[in-house]
Amino acid sequence: MVVKQTVNIDSCKALTRENMATNRAASKRKLEKVEQNGKNNALTAQNGAEESDEEDYLQTISDVDSSDQEGDQSGSDESEGELENIDEDNTEDSSDADSEEGENESDDGEEEDDSDVEEEDENEEENDSEDKSDLEWESDASSEDDAENLLKNVKKVTKTKVKSQDSTLATESNESASEEHLDPSKSINSKDSKDSNVQGTSKDEYESGDTSDEEDIRNTVGNIPMNWYDEYPHLGYDWDGKPIMKPKTGDTLDFFLKRMEDPNFFRTVKDPQTGQDVVLSDRDVELIKRLQSGQIPDAAFDDTAPWVEYFTSDVMKTPLRKFPEHKRSFLPSKSEAAKVSKYVHALKMGWMKTRSELAEEQRKKREKNFYMLWGADDNSVEEMRRIENHLPAPKRHLPGHAESYNPPAEYLLDKEELRQWKKCQETPWKRKIHFVPQKYKSLREVPSYPRYIRERFLRCLDLYMCPRALKMKLMIEPEDLVPKLPSPRDLQPFPTTMSMVYEGHTDMVRCITVDPKGQFMISGSDDLTIKVWEVSTGRCLRTINVGGVVRSVCWCPNQALSIVAVAADRKLLLINPGVGDSLVIAKTDLLLKEEPEDSSVIPERVKAAVQWEQAKDEEWASGIRVVINHFKEIKQVTWHGRGDYFATVMPEGIHRSVVIHQLSKRRSQVPFSRSKGLVQCVLFHPVQPMLFVATQRNIRVYDLLKQEMVKKLSTLSRWVSSMAIHPGGDNLLVGTYDRKMMWFDLDLSTSPYQTLRLHGTAVRGVAYHKRYPLFASGSDDRSVIVSHGMVYNDLLKNPLIVPLKRLQYHEPNNDFGIFDVIFHPTQPWVFSAGSDKTIRLYS
Amino acid sequence: MASTQESGTGQVQIRFTTKQEQYAVPDLPFAVPAGINSNELNVLLNELLKEGRSDITSVDFDFLVCGEFLRQPLNDLLEERNVSFEDVIDVEYVEQHPTPEPMDCLMHDDWVSAVHVRNGWILTGCYDNTLHIWSKTGTHHLTIPGHSGPVKAVAWVSLTPTVGSFVSVSHDQTAMLWKWNIEDNSVDCIHVCRGHERSLECVSVNHNSTLMATGGWDTLLKIWTTSMLDTSSAASHSTGDSDETEIKRAKVESNSKSHIKTPIMTLKGHKEAISSVVWTDNQELATSSWDHTLRLWDAELGGIKSEIAGNKSFFDMSHSSLNRTVITASADRHIRLYDLRSTEGSLVKSTFTSHSQWVQSVKWSTTDEHLFISGAHDSQVLLWDSRSPKAPLFNLEGHEDKVMCVDWSNPRYMVSGGADKTVRIFKSRHAPSKNGTEGEKEEL
Repeated sequence: MVVKQTVNIDSCKALTRENMATNRAASKRKLEKVEQNGKNNALTAQNGAEESDEEDYLQTISDVDSSDQEGDQSGSDESEGELENIDEDNTEDSSDADSEEGENESDDGEEEDDSDVEEEDENEEENDSEDKSDLEWESDASSEDDAENLLKNVKKVTKTKVKSQDSTLATESNESASEEHLDPSKSINSKDSKDSNVQGTSKDEYESGDTSDEEDIRNTVGNIPMNWYDEYPHLGYDWDGKPIMKPKTGDTLDFFLKRMEDPNFFRTVKDPQTGQDVVLSDRDVELIKRLQSGQIPDAAFDDTAPWVEYFTSDVMKTPLRKFPEHKRSFLPSKSEAAKVSKYVHALKMGWMKTRSELAEEQRKKREKNFYMLWGADDNSVEEMRRIENHLPAPKRHLPGHAESYNPPAEYLLDKEELRQWKKCQETPWKRKIHFVPQKYKSLREVPSYPRYIRERFLRCLDLYMCPRALKMKLMIEPEDLVPKLPSPRDLQPFPTTMSMVYEGHTDMVRCITVDPKGQFMISGSDDLTIKVWEVSTGRCLRTINVGGVVRSVCWCPNQALSIVAVAADRKLLLINPGVGDSLVIAKTDLLLKEEPEDSSVIPERVKAAVQWEQAKDEEWASGIRVVINHFKEIKQVTWHGRGDYFATVMPEGIHRSVVIHQLSKRRSQVPFSRSKGLVQCVLFHPVQPMLFVATQRNIRVYDLLKQEMVKKLSTLSRWVSSMAIHPGGDNLLVGTYDRKMMWFDLDLSTSPYQTLRLHGTAVRGVAYHKRYPLFASGSDDRSVIVSHGMVYNDLLKNPLIVPLKRLQYHEPNNDFGIFDVIFHPTQPWVFSAGSDKTIRLYS
Repeated sequence: MASTQESGTGQVQIRFTTKQEQYAVPDLPFAVPAGINSNELNVLLNELLKEGRSDITSVDFDFLVCGEFLRQPLNDLLEERNVSFEDVIDVEYVEQHPTPEPMDCLMHDDWVSAVHVRNGWILTGCYDNTLHIWSKTGTHHLTIPGHSGPVKAVAWVSLTPTVGSFVSVSHDQTAMLWKWNIEDNSVDCIHVCRGHERSLECVSVNHNSTLMATGGWDTLLKIWTTSMLDTSSAASHSTGDSDETEIKRAKVESNSKSHIKTPIMTLKGHKEAISSVVWTDNQELATSSWDHTLRLWDAELGGIKSEIAGNKSFFDMSHSSLNRTVITASADRHIRLYDLRSTEGSLVKSTFTSHSQWVQSVKWSTTDEHLFISGAHDSQVLLWDSRSPKAPLFNLEGHEDKVMCVDWSNPRYMVSGGADKTVRIFKSRHAPSKNGTEGEKEEL
């Protein structure tokens, strides 16, 4: 057996030698040998192949291998049945090897192993001297000696193992396993390592002093997580590209048995690269133990050896160097300072961040952001409030004389007071003082205060319950709420004082009108007369009896005619006042003297309502030229801007309450077939053919050409009294009996642009000035209020309305105050007709 | 304490000056209390005068400090004018204007809207379309109907002891030129001046009585000649019934007999009624209008010379040939003094405020460059000195209704007419200057 082994070894040697020679011919020859010598040789050959990088050769070997393997497989199949329960932990390869040499005695196996080890050593030797082109036999011989030494060692080890092993289980497999663990990294070289000769070599690995290249590279998958192969039956690929199959894993029973029976179980670990079990050597175990116990792994290291201080901290008397230190070594480096300042600046500006800041940022980024939904965004507000709006703690009630230990006598309670005090037992808050003042001779005699704790507690409560909010007192002056308006001083001229009183009427003056030039004024009164006044002097020039209560007068705007329309009860009189241009007066008389031929048929509906009539002689003498009889009382008469048409209003006329008359043709028409309400007043648009009809609550705007309603203005008031239209025609002023005055911007909306509640009582008259931006209103409170009402040409600019002056000069007469207001056509003067029988002029 | 003492008993140094030589005092500064008023100054000055000459009786003086009458304690005025108390203050004194004496009250049938005095004759125009001629003694000489509308202005054109001519304007759009024969107390309408389209408001005759100008509500200023040559042939048929008692009514068939006169010039420019017109020169006119302007016209060339805009409608104006300035009455209670020659700076040189209603009429004195009278709707006639803008010199009481016209053409008589249907005459006793004597001479 021994001989055989040596032969084996020799053959190995020979092989190795040939290996080194890397001669193709030799390799061929060797191949032949391998074939002769069987698997053992083949393995060696492969070993050699590993060392040399000759592909061709490798190829051949692998070919051989594969053929061998097949043979092996067949062989192993036969023997498996016998060996199954013996070598469970072994890999397939080893099991194959076992199966082939299972019958061999353990000694034999050992010998084989030894030889393997030796051979490996040789290999190692050769590896070391790889660079050398030639290998000498001498060196080989020396290595042979080494190998033999080693062999002995191994033998010794194995023998001891064998002794300890159970006889039945002391198989080669166990041995191989025990040898495997000697070097886990080099446990098994190939799957067909039947003789597992490599395992023995691990011992030499560290001795050879080179470990870095000796990593287990049987598995070629590289440094990857091995769990990638969890799902596969193999563990990776060997150098030949063949999958490395996972070793069989036993079930729990096997595991248990092994744990119970295998004395090396505790030092058996699994190699993740190959999946095989590796039994750690004693040295490894010891190393691990040392590591675990926190000792220095190297047992040989003497950690208690005396410390040799190579460089001392002591300043030596003579410098180490001959020359003195350079000056700059004492000075701080300028470039470094510049760099540092640069960094500091960058840090300050936030361009650069310290590691802690970056970490903080990272942390913040990772963290979820939470937002204060109900709280303030930042606490600084609250913090600042504590400083700025400091809330002082509630003050303590200062002790008075009653609290004194020696109060004056008047503070001491007498009997009655004491009884009173005690009566309030249930309602202590009703007591004047919450304690009974008591007198002591000296402070020393004052007993401890029984309510002390209680009072302290209450004080604490006071502090705790003190409202933490400042009571904000909002002081709003009423003036602040009023929009800023220009000062009346800047809006001059406007009437500021009464300048003239026109006295003469014997009853209330209901209506006034001023001639287009502004020289004369006509007033109509309840004393059944109209009076013609000279504006500048207050002189009454004429008085014309009209035989009825004059409710409305209106001067014809046509300056070529001298006509005033006077509404006296049911009659409308066209009167030539006889003032002004005598030529015009004469012409007017001439014009009105003759009734024009009227061929048109007047509808019955109109005829019933209105009849034109030439003035009788006595009437003519008094200035009346034409009489238009109406069927109801006329409340208002108004001229169209041209002076040919005029409209009369009879509020009781129901469906025929508005009549439009044409002077030139002496014709009348009733424009509205159905009344929409009680018509209060009507008004012609100054430039467009439009008619404003005010009922009690609404104002309707009719287009006279198209004969349709254009607009309906809602006043939101109960009873409209009067209307005035701005000379521009886009703004309407409406006075109502419910004390309001409304300014409508017709372009803006159908509801009032502004509602003025300036008067305390019903507004009876409103008027616009023709030239100045003024409007005025007269009411039953006997006051005229003059306001500035600027209308801008810019359509985007709303009218500016500023109440300017209240003029209250009329004397109280009855419940009425002012009936009518009208502006002078050219001057900033306003007239008011009052119930005190006077007309007043304000300038 | 010290300061109050100072203000209370502080002294100022004053020096009396005067332009009236008979009242001259030595040119020495006097230390007087700062709070001295005009009465105390008056006493002091009289004492000084008596020192020099014992024969003089006490005279009342007015004191002018900084060109203004002293109507309050001296220190108040000085503070107001920002004058240092440490300087010697010149106090000019003038003999106080003697109080005008109410002389007569001429009763009319209707409102008196116009009055003009020439020598001893008072011509008035009434709202009952009549003109009246009164003597200075208050006797009614003539009632002249003729107008068909209220008379708004009258003016004497010429007056000789035997014959006088005058013009009147009225609401009936005409101006009438009348000739009055004093001896047989007959009056003729020589010319009816037609051309205005609306009521006339004012008339003015130029200084040499050759031209007259009228203005009215038709905004036109028309210039007419006053010559009566055309009508010399037209015999005056008016009968002067001197036998009749006091009120004499001239019978005038004006329309049939008088000739119609047309204007020689029509000046257009005002936008509203012309309220008054005055000749500032023989060929220069000034007008005031309701359109808030004063205009200066050249009657020769027929154009506007200059224009001054005011804030209110003007109702009347008066031009003084002595100081060449104009006072105006407008639609407020102020009288304003304008200088038509200056166009820069503030146009209103001075404002006189004491009336409480519209001032209707103003008139400069023809003899004193500082004095004027004004009549207003508050039924007051006030005599003003232009150096005393806050308070008038005298209030000529008497009227019970609106004063509509004042006249001071004769320096001896201040005449005013009003809505109380009276003309009130105040006698001005102050006639020191040459003009006054002239006037008196004329009158005589």
